[in-house]
Order: sequence, then structure tokens, then C-alpha cells
Amino acid sequence: MMVPQALLQPRPARILVVEDEVLVRALIAEELRLAGFDVIEADRADDALTYIGAGEQVDLVFSDIQTPGSLDGLQLAETLRDKYPDIPVILTSGNAPTRRVGIVEAFVPKPYDVTQTIALMSAILAQKSPGEPL
Amino acid sequence: MSEPCILIVEEDLLVRTPLAEYLRECGYLVLEASSAGDARTLLEDGSRRVDIVLAEVKSGEPSGFALASWVRAHLPNTQVVLAGTIATATEKAGDICQEGPALSKPYDHRLVLDYIQRLLAARDRNDRT
Repeated sequence: MMVPQALLQPRPARILVVEDEVLVRALIAEELRLAGFDVIEADRADDALTYIGAGEQVDLVFSDIQTPGSLDGLQLAETLRDKYPDIPVILTSGNAPTRRVGIVEAFVPKPYDVTQTIALMSAILAQKSPGEPL
Repeated sequence: MSEPCILIVEEDLLVRTPLAEYLRECGYLVLEASSAGDARTLLEDGSRRVDIVLAEVKSGEPSGFALASWVRAHLPNTQVVLAGTIATATEKAGDICQEGPALSKPYDHRLVLDYIQRLLAARDRNDRT
């Protein structure tokens, strides 16, 4: 059977970035794309959940804790843990978290080093799917 | 010379993301904003020269019209394309792609519209359950 070439090629890992500060989001998104990742940019945790709920594949979520809307980043992580336990979550914040963040793969304090943060994402994705291209 | 840059201004993630992915495949560097206010923040930051702003007419407060006026006054070399509906936005993205740096369109813009409509239908179904 003939298979479209595009389906044979490995898909880059898709990272959903949730950050309402547009300049911060644009910077990390651009660096992630330069590193070869597919990036989805959301400014609200609610939108991130809607995107995943619509059936779109996401390999990792990187979310600020303080996000506008009805969900914050921690609540997003809790919901993902219940409904989509295969999606690793990294949280970030400029403030120390007031609630437990133990349910997520990592917490990165702001301001974060972009290169180190991308290396962390790569390591978590590699652990999740050893042997698969990122 | 770096690739031309487009700023997409669209509130709905399920609309903005497929449009942005399509234009990236057309060879553009694409910035994303969910509101006209965020778009203006990106434009004022000035770290990236934006060639085209593709904005929905509404885009919250300030409106897409107000953003267009601001761009025309402050960034005369930046083209503004306003779209009132998702269909118009995808059609205009198709036109922009036609003139883009890639040698050919990755796919027809009508497929982008179909994809967006499928995502919106999935959201509607989830909202009902």
C-alpha cells in the first residue's frame, strides 16, 4: 500500500507553551522552533485544555502558574494528570508556588535560562519516548 | 536576508494555530498575538521587523481597526491585512502564501479552513458534554 511521504517522516515533538506575557512567550516559542520543536502558543490555561480536548496531539506542556481565565497553571496540570496522564507538564513562575507542584515533572523558576529550559524539555521528552526522534 | 515576518492577531487558539502553522510552511517567520494589545506590545518591542500584520477585525480592545490605524501611523512599511471571518482570514493567508518565500504552497488554504472547522466542531461537542 502506498503511504504519503509525510506520514513516513518522524513528527517533531509538539510543545504547548502557556504564557500570557506575549514577549516572554514569543521568545521561548521562537527558541523552541529553532531547536526543531513544533510549538503551540496559548495565553490562557483554558485555551490549552481546549486545544488538547479538541483531539490535537501534544507531547509536553510548559505553563506559567499565574494565567488569566478560569484555570491557573496548577489546575491545568491537575486536569492533565487526570485526563491525559501521558502528557508531561513543566510549570514556571516568578513566585514560589503556594500549592504543591509535585504532580508535575519539573518546576522552573522565572526568570529562566531558555537554553537550559529547552534542554530540560528535551530530557523529559527523551525519557518519555526513548529512541524516538524529538 | 532573514525570512519575511508575519504577525497573526487572532483571539481563538483553534483558529490562530492552524493559520500560523500554514504560513510557517509557506516560509514565513510567524509571530502570534491573541489580542490587538499584545500585537502592539510585540510591534513596539521592535526586536523583529514585521512585514505583514494579519488581524481579525475584532481582536478585543483595542480593535483590529484601531491596531491597523496605529500600524499605518507608526510602521508605514508594514502591511496590514484585516479579516472579518475565519473564511476570509484563511483566504487572505492563501494569498499571502502565494507571494511567500517558499517555492510552492504546502497545501490549499481551503484545507486550513476545513481543519479549523473540524477543531471548532470538536470544541462544540466537548462543550456540550
